[in-house]
Amino acid sequence: MSLFDWIVLAVTLTFIVGYGIYRSRREQNLESYLTGGHTLPWWQVCLSVMATQASAVTFLSGPGQAYTDGMRFVQFYFGLPLAMVVISMTFIPIFHRLNVYTAYEYLETRFDLRTRTLTAILFLVPRWLSTGISIYAPSIILSTIFGWDLVWTNIAMGGILLIYTVIGGSQAVSYTHVQQMFIVLGGMFLAGCLVVRLLPENMGFVDTLEVAGKMNKLQTINWKFDLNDRYNVWSGLIGGFFLQLSYFGTDQSQVGRYLGGETISQSRLGLLMNGIIKIPMQFLILLVGALVFVFYQFHEAPLVFNETALSKIENTSAYQDLQKNNTLIFEEKKQAVTQLQQALKQKNETQINTLQKRVLDLNQQSTELREKTQKLVKEKGGDANDTNYIFLTFVVKYLPKGVVGLLIAIIFIASMGSIASAINSLTSSFVVDIYRRMWVTQASEAHYVQVSKISTAIWGVLSIAVAMYASRVGSLLEAVNILGSLFYGTVLGVFVVAFYFKQIGAKATFWAAVIAEIGVVICWLLNLTAFLWLNVIGCLAVVAMGLFLETILGKNEVASR
Amino acid sequence: MEEEKEGLPPFVRSWRQLYGLVIANLILMIILFWWFTEAFS
Repeated sequence: MSLFDWIVLAVTLTFIVGYGIYRSRREQNLESYLTGGHTLPWWQVCLSVMATQASAVTFLSGPGQAYTDGMRFVQFYFGLPLAMVVISMTFIPIFHRLNVYTAYEYLETRFDLRTRTLTAILFLVPRWLSTGISIYAPSIILSTIFGWDLVWTNIAMGGILLIYTVIGGSQAVSYTHVQQMFIVLGGMFLAGCLVVRLLPENMGFVDTLEVAGKMNKLQTINWKFDLNDRYNVWSGLIGGFFLQLSYFGTDQSQVGRYLGGETISQSRLGLLMNGIIKIPMQFLILLVGALVFVFYQFHEAPLVFNETALSKIENTSAYQDLQKNNTLIFEEKKQAVTQLQQALKQKNETQINTLQKRVLDLNQQSTELREKTQKLVKEKGGDANDTNYIFLTFVVKYLPKGVVGLLIAIIFIASMGSIASAINSLTSSFVVDIYRRMWVTQASEAHYVQVSKISTAIWGVLSIAVAMYASRVGSLLEAVNILGSLFYGTVLGVFVVAFYFKQIGAKATFWAAVIAEIGVVICWLLNLTAFLWLNVIGCLAVVAMGLFLETILGKNEVASR
Repeated sequence: MEEEKEGLPPFVRSWRQLYGLVIANLILMIILFWWFTEAFS
């Protein structure tokens, strides 16, 4: 990185931290520290929930995923608007009316302390682990590309945000989210524009899209219903709906964001706007990846984007042979893509069809070379999955000075946004659901604020500790979603029973949740279905088991009263 | 009922209408993406 890039990075991060501290200067009570004191207008709620969901992984993995797999990942978010509607109708009015700090507090009112504690633990453990992954994911990529020390990168990634999160709590987190989202979205838009500018002179935006489309990178919709296919319209609408409903309805990192809304209406409007904006935003992030893919049709892409992995095999004759073949195929493909682009301009259908077949065939050959290289890397004990390195490698190699610094700042900022929310929510749940409820029940407000600050610092350190020990986790975006899918379905099931099945009591719900969670883990271990469906299975299992157990345990419960 | 309407954006008359708008937007998105897939494949 150049000195100018370092300056841009330092100024951007200092601005965010400084602004966070500035917003935290008011006196705090527990409510303002944990929920922001119900002061946020709808647009701030909207940006805050978006910043919480969009971590650095979103901006690193997203374009990489479009590069390797096309844009079909956008279907993953189709269930989100539906979930926003259900949460606005059901969850928000109940949480606001009961004036709860955490979602799990409500479960004690509806069921008992045991169910509240179980769901809080089902939230705390995976959220803590996924926060560690959220720190580790961008750190490992930055340290690989720039040769930075991983330990210090992890500490910087998870530590800088602790300054304002510990001091300012939820309010500082929400206020910094607004700035973070503007910088992040502006930066990604700039990156997209620069990719198009770096393409050959006679290629405009539409020409680029046409080439990407002919190379099957713009297939966003797949109507075919297939339980084992990760991304199609149905898995997005049904599986995605359950995942987003669980995430936004029961994960404290999101509940804490919209509980900060000034009124029920402001919280609702914030979430509904998120339901409108999120899909186009994700589409644009993926589109950047598709554009980068077209760029690499004119500039030779490395066989593996992860340079550390590459260093393990670059001296082997097998790799050198693969590299020679890659260069030959690239030259041939470049020529075919140029001809295809000209044929597209002339609208010569016969030529377009012939050249499309040729380009796809050559692309298949380069994909096979990439797979062989990845296999080679794996055999040497390296990380074969380079999806997360594609976009950043492009940024560092081809974008101008200053923009590189800005995009690295974006990775830090996006991380800070989601990690700060996560740590704030871990604190809320720990202090409200466990510490204040079970350990120290009668202390002063100042005592709980102090404990919350200490707890925030400790959760920060614990998350950095997970990041230090996180091993290779494949596509980081998927790893976080899989971890969520393992637990969210069950927690959502408990809330669905609480809201819609009044006849099911506490005992039946508790045991139904325990059995459902074991079932979900077994389904995952045996690889029975794509991960999005685990949310549906977990939720429906709690409801079905709850109804069944109520017929047995419910009678005993009534009899023992 | 009055409280229900408080905070609504001026272009809708009830929360139900706003929910309908969000769902209609989703349907529109899916149609646009489908068109996008077809147009550029």
